[in-house]
Amino acid sequence: MTTLPPPTGGSPADTAEVAAAARPTTQAPHGGRRSAGPGQLSDIWRRYRRNRLALLGLGIVGLLVFLAIFEPFITPFSPFEQNLLNTTAPPSARHWFGTDVLGRDMFSAIIYGAKLAVIVGLATVAMSLLIGVVFGAIAGFRGGAVDSVIMRTTDVFLAFPLLVGAILVVRTFGAGVTPVIIALALFGWTTSARLMRGQTLALRESEYVEAARSIGATDRRIISRHILPNAIAPVLVYAFTNIGVVVVAMASLSFLGIGVPADIPEWGRLISQSAPFFQVPGKSHLWAFPALAICVTTLGFAFVADGLRDALDPKLRGRG
Amino acid sequence: MGMFILRRSGQAVLVVMGATLLVFIATFALGDPFASTGDRQVPPEIAAANRAQFGLDQPLPIQYVTYLGNLFTGDLGVDFDQRRPVIDMLAETVPNTVRLALVAILIDVIIGVVAGIIAAVKRYSFADVLVTVLSTLAIGVPVFVIGIVLVANLSGVGPFPTVPRSFTVEVPWYQEVLLPAFALAIIDAAFIARLMRGSMLEVLRSDYIRTARAKGLSERKVIGKHALRNSLIPVVTYIGVSLGVLLGGAIITETIFQYNGVGFLLFRAISGNNAPVISAVVVFGVLAYVLLSLLVDILYAFLDPRIRLN
Repeated sequence: MTTLPPPTGGSPADTAEVAAAARPTTQAPHGGRRSAGPGQLSDIWRRYRRNRLALLGLGIVGLLVFLAIFEPFITPFSPFEQNLLNTTAPPSARHWFGTDVLGRDMFSAIIYGAKLAVIVGLATVAMSLLIGVVFGAIAGFRGGAVDSVIMRTTDVFLAFPLLVGAILVVRTFGAGVTPVIIALALFGWTTSARLMRGQTLALRESEYVEAARSIGATDRRIISRHILPNAIAPVLVYAFTNIGVVVVAMASLSFLGIGVPADIPEWGRLISQSAPFFQVPGKSHLWAFPALAICVTTLGFAFVADGLRDALDPKLRGRG
Repeated sequence: MGMFILRRSGQAVLVVMGATLLVFIATFALGDPFASTGDRQVPPEIAAANRAQFGLDQPLPIQYVTYLGNLFTGDLGVDFDQRRPVIDMLAETVPNTVRLALVAILIDVIIGVVAGIIAAVKRYSFADVLVTVLSTLAIGVPVFVIGIVLVANLSGVGPFPTVPRSFTVEVPWYQEVLLPAFALAIIDAAFIARLMRGSMLEVLRSDYIRTARAKGLSERKVIGKHALRNSLIPVVTYIGVSLGVLLGGAIITETIFQYNGVGFLLFRAISGNNAPVISAVVVFGVLAYVLLSLLVDILYAFLDPRIRLN
């Protein structure tokens, strides 16, 4: 158990510190980002670079983003074009990954799936981050009844199974990419809210927040200008870890036949369409390639998140 | 301690109440269960009679209060589709899910704890690297991929029954539970191995282990008796929460293996817009999760007296 250093109070150095902390905000209302200057960023990158898995993860994520952006130029065939005369063909020189149950080029379908995974992953995480950070900051800053209400709501959403909630939401709004994003964000914001609340609780009592309050800053300004920049780092790292979880959740939804519409080549959908061929010898490419794509994606994001966590907080190195 | 349990129980009740409200809203949002759909035409007067019979013509707040009242008196109603009592459906599926969860946890613990101990004790050895690599990879594999690979390669082989199970074949439960339990266990076992390794390494660095070694205890005793107990604490916590999640029904795994547990029941109920079954299974799952989380918190304080609740 770590013990906190005893709170120091009233020494002349303190008042100087408070003044120093308060000064930049009073002089520069637009607030330069001092907390992560160029020196600190290069420091983080230096620590990150040492981790070979993290570099591999960065490569995978980079590749995924590249595929997502340039998808129309990379796919050799249209990922939607069906050819019912040439279904479930094994990999060949023409169709590198073979063709799927509808005769679509599997290679193109996988690349299109990468685009979907990146879009849904980023959009979902951004949305749940927004909800979580706002609720977490308010709960931590206000305390009392507001805090209780928000935290009990968080508990309810945390105890509610993610997949079940998402299925119910998607079935309500109908199949599509946007309902999937909304559904996963609606049931995925709880941990960022809890993290943000914890951070805010700790920072609320800090001297620079007191200083900001003493010069008459509003609550809103204190939260957005003073607390948020200092509290956000661990929440962001968690959000990044969560992209892999979101990708798996989306694939699970479409695997159950509930996520994106049936004609969109999504990885989970590709797998569920090949269900009749699971036990047919020589047809394993139908599910193996999309399954592999999902695994590589999850691992890539997990490696990056691990590396990022270690790089941002060197004390945590070697844990777990 | 008493105060803590009381407060946490109060919170647990609130969470379950919140979940009933959430699932009530969600099942309402799913739409009219008796409306005509493409291939099933329902005459309007029959639909209206059905709605009246199930109380769906009442205002929403009244429906919710009635539902809560029934829930607390143990009356789960009958389902929309076959008019079977929902409690019977739970009675049929819950034991299957409990078996699946327990067997999965058992496999988890055996593989995870043993692998974690070996990796920590023989740090940087080949075994350690193997455990680290395998557990890292396993965490990246979604459960349905594992399920599919198992179905594709092992169903119908040796002791494992074919999936989906034929009605002409009699299969004892312990054979049917093996594959889905294994599918569920792999990812959790990987987490536990990592957790166990990390916590064991931390404990092995502590002073009392050095003391135990200095006294001349055999390495076997140092690891098996002194180090193991303390390093199991985070693993126990993880297992508790994991069990809480599994008891609520593993919807993906049970669906892949067509295993007759609450997860598969829930999947069918959601597909059929069968609100009484959906809310019963979800509330059961939330209850299991909340109870086990509570239990874990209390257990944690017992296992590690340094942690003071309140």
